[in-house]
Amino acid sequence: MKWRRTAVAVALVILGAALQTTLFVRLRPFGASPALALLITLAVTRHLGRVPSLLVGFSTGLLLDLLSESALGLWALVLTTVAFATVRLRRRFEDDVTLLVPGVFLISFAALAMYALLGTIFGEQTLADAQVVRKMLLPAVYNVILTPLVLPPITRLIGERGGRPGWDL
Amino acid sequence: MWRPSGIDRSTATFIGLVLLSLVMVTIDLRASGEGLGGTLRDGVQTAFTPVQKAATFVTRPVVGFFEGLSDLVGIRDENRRLRLQVADLERQLAETESLQRRVEELEEILAIEPPGELDTVAARVLATGPSDFDAIRLIDKGRRDGITVDMPVIDEGGLVGRVVAVTETSARVRLITDPTMRVAVRVERTGETGILTGRGGGLLQLEMFNTQAALIEGDLLVTADGRFPAGIPVARVTEKAEAEVGFSLITRAAPEAELSRVDYVKVLVFTSDQVGAPGSEEEEEPVQPPLENGGTETTVGTGTGPGTTLSP
Repeated sequence: MKWRRTAVAVALVILGAALQTTLFVRLRPFGASPALALLITLAVTRHLGRVPSLLVGFSTGLLLDLLSESALGLWALVLTTVAFATVRLRRRFEDDVTLLVPGVFLISFAALAMYALLGTIFGEQTLADAQVVRKMLLPAVYNVILTPLVLPPITRLIGERGGRPGWDL
Repeated sequence: MWRPSGIDRSTATFIGLVLLSLVMVTIDLRASGEGLGGTLRDGVQTAFTPVQKAATFVTRPVVGFFEGLSDLVGIRDENRRLRLQVADLERQLAETESLQRRVEELEEILAIEPPGELDTVAARVLATGPSDFDAIRLIDKGRRDGITVDMPVIDEGGLVGRVVAVTETSARVRLITDPTMRVAVRVERTGETGILTGRGGGLLQLEMFNTQAALIEGDLLVTADGRFPAGIPVARVTEKAEAEVGFSLITRAAPEAELSRVDYVKVLVFTSDQVGAPGSEEEEEPVQPPLENGGTETTVGTGTGPGTTLSP
């Protein structure tokens, strides 16, 4: 059962990466696109065990690194951090669902800001981008809009039915 | 496994993965994208291209639907603008035909070999980078179609970017809007040269070296860079230039290529080795731009001259 959930989670993040890189080639309202792979990572790590969540975050990041021209490991670092933050905060999200939307916004924004900062430190000139604020803010807003469309189906696919066995790993 | 008391297993794993990521970044940067990182990228991109092709096939109608909706908003103004543009282009075409005849006559008189046409490979844009910070596009043609790294990519408007990585079946193109991209350009109207730098999206930054250069809104900028064939439209000046204390003139320019909606492109089968080959123009003195924007290599030249490689 645990393996089935992990396999579905891996399939979901691959689908997320494929959609992230293809759906938004031309569909970019106000010059930005949702950080869909990040949102799916966040949604998946709400339901997996702690260590598997971190590994899924790291692997998704590594896949994004390999599909981009950025330094290998940048996205891995960012999405591992996203997974860690989600693992730490998910009980609060469960206890108070109204925290979920601001939580998605803050995690998305912070992750993109972290990527921009690390990118600059490692010579990617991301902060030299004239639209840097827009590229951090709009994807976070789009992720909030997509939250009702993405999180519930993923919960249905890999969420727990009664109890939270994966959480204590 | 030993771990300090107070640190649970997930925190230890997190610290381990962060350290592993940092090591990977360091190794990849030291290898400059080559080595194991480059091999992994090629392998994963090759394996992932069919997935991206399938996703593109499935999502294209959805994208088309939303694009259609957004197009409806400004369709009347667009129609009026296009009618004016057609009238203007018809006039320009008549002038160009007349000039072309004169050039052919002069070439015949002076026994000059006309410049040869470059081969092109038409390609479709399959995918973009995983975030808005990645100004790259993946195209569906690769090494087996004759594409190599550094080849220029254009669309019907002008320069789109250049190829930065190639697999057997696909290639990655870095757009001219990328902050690491710098292209030497010439103002078509005056012949003055400058450097266009990407700003991540939207308008590009144009830096002219001659502080006396007169730039007006609408001036067309064409390639004058050893890495690209000369004369490809790149951008159009959008703001009047302002002198920057005695060193240069800096202004903004809008890309001629429709980068936000690029779908089909052409890869020019051209490498900088072809510069100076039969059919190219007479070599001229290269322009030396000021060194800045650390780490970006820029090859500059006027006409199709060989240019100078600058390594700040």
